Amino acid sequence: MNDVIIRVANENDLDAIMVIEHAAFGSTAWPRDSMALELAPNPARHYFVAHVGDVMVGYSGISVVAGHHGDIMTIAIVAEHRGRGLGRRLMNRMLEVAKSQSATEVFLEVRADNQVAQSLYRSLGFEQIDLRRGYYQPENIDAVIMKLDFTNTDASGTPGPRAATAASAAGGKSDPLVLGIESSCDETGIGIVRGTTLLANVIASSMDQHARFGGVVPEIAARAHLEALQPAIREALKTAQVSLQDLDAIAVTNGPGLAGALMVGVGAAKALAVATGKPLYAVNHLVGHVGVDVLERGEVQTPTIALLVSGGHTSLLLVRDLLDDVELLGETIDDAAGEAFDKVARLLGLGYPGGPQIDKAATDGNPAAIRFPRGLTLPKDMEKHRYDFSFSGLKTAVARWVEVAEASGEEFSVADVAASFREAVVDVLVGKAVAACQAHNVPRLLLGGGVVANRGLRDVAAAKCAEAGIELRIPALDLCTDNGAMIAALGAQLVMAGREASSLNFAADSTLPVTQVQSI
Amino acid sequence: MSTFLAIDTSGGTSVAIVHNGEALSEIVIDDPMGHSENIGQALVEVLHEAGITPQDLSAVVVGRGPAPFTGLRVGIAAAIAFSEGIGKPLLGVVSHDAIARDFFDTISDADRATIDAGSRLLVTTDARRKEVYWSLYSGLDSHGAPICVDGPHVEKPHDLEDQLDQKNVQRITTGNTLSAVSLAQVAAANLAGGRTLTDVTALYLRAPDAVEPKAHGKFGKQVSS
Repeated sequence: MNDVIIRVANENDLDAIMVIEHAAFGSTAWPRDSMALELAPNPARHYFVAHVGDVMVGYSGISVVAGHHGDIMTIAIVAEHRGRGLGRRLMNRMLEVAKSQSATEVFLEVRADNQVAQSLYRSLGFEQIDLRRGYYQPENIDAVIMKLDFTNTDASGTPGPRAATAASAAGGKSDPLVLGIESSCDETGIGIVRGTTLLANVIASSMDQHARFGGVVPEIAARAHLEALQPAIREALKTAQVSLQDLDAIAVTNGPGLAGALMVGVGAAKALAVATGKPLYAVNHLVGHVGVDVLERGEVQTPTIALLVSGGHTSLLLVRDLLDDVELLGETIDDAAGEAFDKVARLLGLGYPGGPQIDKAATDGNPAAIRFPRGLTLPKDMEKHRYDFSFSGLKTAVARWVEVAEASGEEFSVADVAASFREAVVDVLVGKAVAACQAHNVPRLLLGGGVVANRGLRDVAAAKCAEAGIELRIPALDLCTDNGAMIAALGAQLVMAGREASSLNFAADSTLPVTQVQSI
Repeated sequence: MSTFLAIDTSGGTSVAIVHNGEALSEIVIDDPMGHSENIGQALVEVLHEAGITPQDLSAVVVGRGPAPFTGLRVGIAAAIAFSEGIGKPLLGVVSHDAIARDFFDTISDADRATIDAGSRLLVTTDARRKEVYWSLYSGLDSHGAPICVDGPHVEKPHDLEDQLDQKNVQRITTGNTLSAVSLAQVAAANLAGGRTLTDVTALYLRAPDAVEPKAHGKFGKQVSS
């Protein structure tokens, strides 16, 4: 694809500009005569056009009163070229002009319903200063008046995403207040963060309703989300002592997870965004588990290997950059680790969820009593499945072992079976995670997911990481299980990085790849 | 004065803004899937077309079904969140009521005579799995709220016919197209009649599909610890 060139506009651009003007603004487009006047040579007017080859794809203009202030007059980009950072480039060109003419502030007005544009302007450091009711007629849409104060931006003077980042580092008011909605499995999570500070983390779990089925029943989980939604939102707002109007953005998990469950959160988030006029960010659940570390450390140190283990996932990630470079090294090819715990617990007549029950039963057991198989660890597996997991064979092996032991009529120790099974699971999980750290020369490992609650996993991970000189990060348990705070935290990172909001058209995607951190 | 946002996803996605009983805007997306994709843009568009902001609304009305699971929840979740977002009441209406209201609003003279002679209006909607959701109505009350005399229930069509024949219920049937405008009108009529409509729980009318495993797992015998 050809690169987009941005240059100063001239009167010869009038025809092409009017085509874009009509396409973008319809009935409210400026008349041709007015546009011609704007393009005429004038030291107080600065118009730019963006083009690919000979084709114009956007334009913008600013009026500057030297030494005083600037007004963004217009900006438009043809539909096919939106969402590629072109708006940001045009804005930056105009802001450079304003700055070069010693303007101290720049104003603009934007339709209240144009959340994408508002998000861009905010990321450049603009703040809302006023609202004009019914400014855009005949549609009767309000205008949001925004101002960028150059005296507030950082010392290097470059407006742009850094303005927001600099402000947040100082713990300033511009740390975005973000509400996150999580509904990918059996936890309804509503979290609220301000930048990297956790304000509320409300989790309503339907776990008890699944207990008698020995595993998560998708339809039960989805029904429970609907019932938990309103009380959870209210409680989170109360805990954080903020109102929905205070929010800067809303974030929601749009995958991966159970489709029917995801849709409840996605439907709610879209409606909440429209009702409040706040920008919406659709984020990846698994990357949320990694991003949650910002709430305890202020940042996610990269590169890092992340091992995410829950009832629905067993994934090994290489995170070079939280927002831009997450790679899936491997995942389970059959059952998730949490599922294996549930199934073996049921087999042994223990309760649900299996992880804590196995943990409890294993306390007095001998982990070396029975040598259960380690899935996908043989030399022949290393080519295709070096970082993949398989727990289905292990579950069968435990079942067969118990069957044989029962048939023999001799009593056996459930504690030993539980401890040996847990050892086999944890051995593979930690073994592969540490191997990934070493192979990619990454000195740190982050754990996430509900199975992190498992004592055996934590202990073995701590020991093996210490041995290998790898720094181990385990966030607080209520940040490891599925929660809305991690979604809010990842959303806030996107806002602070100046990312544009998602459209309202994204889908709930049960198999969303981990490489897609934000869905547009 | 009332300005309602009405949302129903019991079939496709239907959204409308209704001001004092009159439709300002309406969007019907006749897609039995895609509710969670469609709902956001549909909300933006009805507001835009009606020329109002969310704060101009006085309440949110939502169709409670009956409907099969997933799609229905999207509309109710959206309505709950929208109502929270604007801090205005949320009103629940049985979706079949909107279909009945529509029928009685545009009833032909012949149908009027049949109803006056004691026939019931039978509303059925697709429940999937070769079943239908159904409700029976006798007419509208003085405020314009449909009077439901039986339902909503879920049944195989054949069993439903048998059952109604046995009870000697004379009936005329109506289509299953649902208008969110009618939903809002039903809500207004019920409020006028003094009902509060605070129940917004989903009417699935079926238990989740799930089979309980045997109590003690795979092995009959309790093993020692």
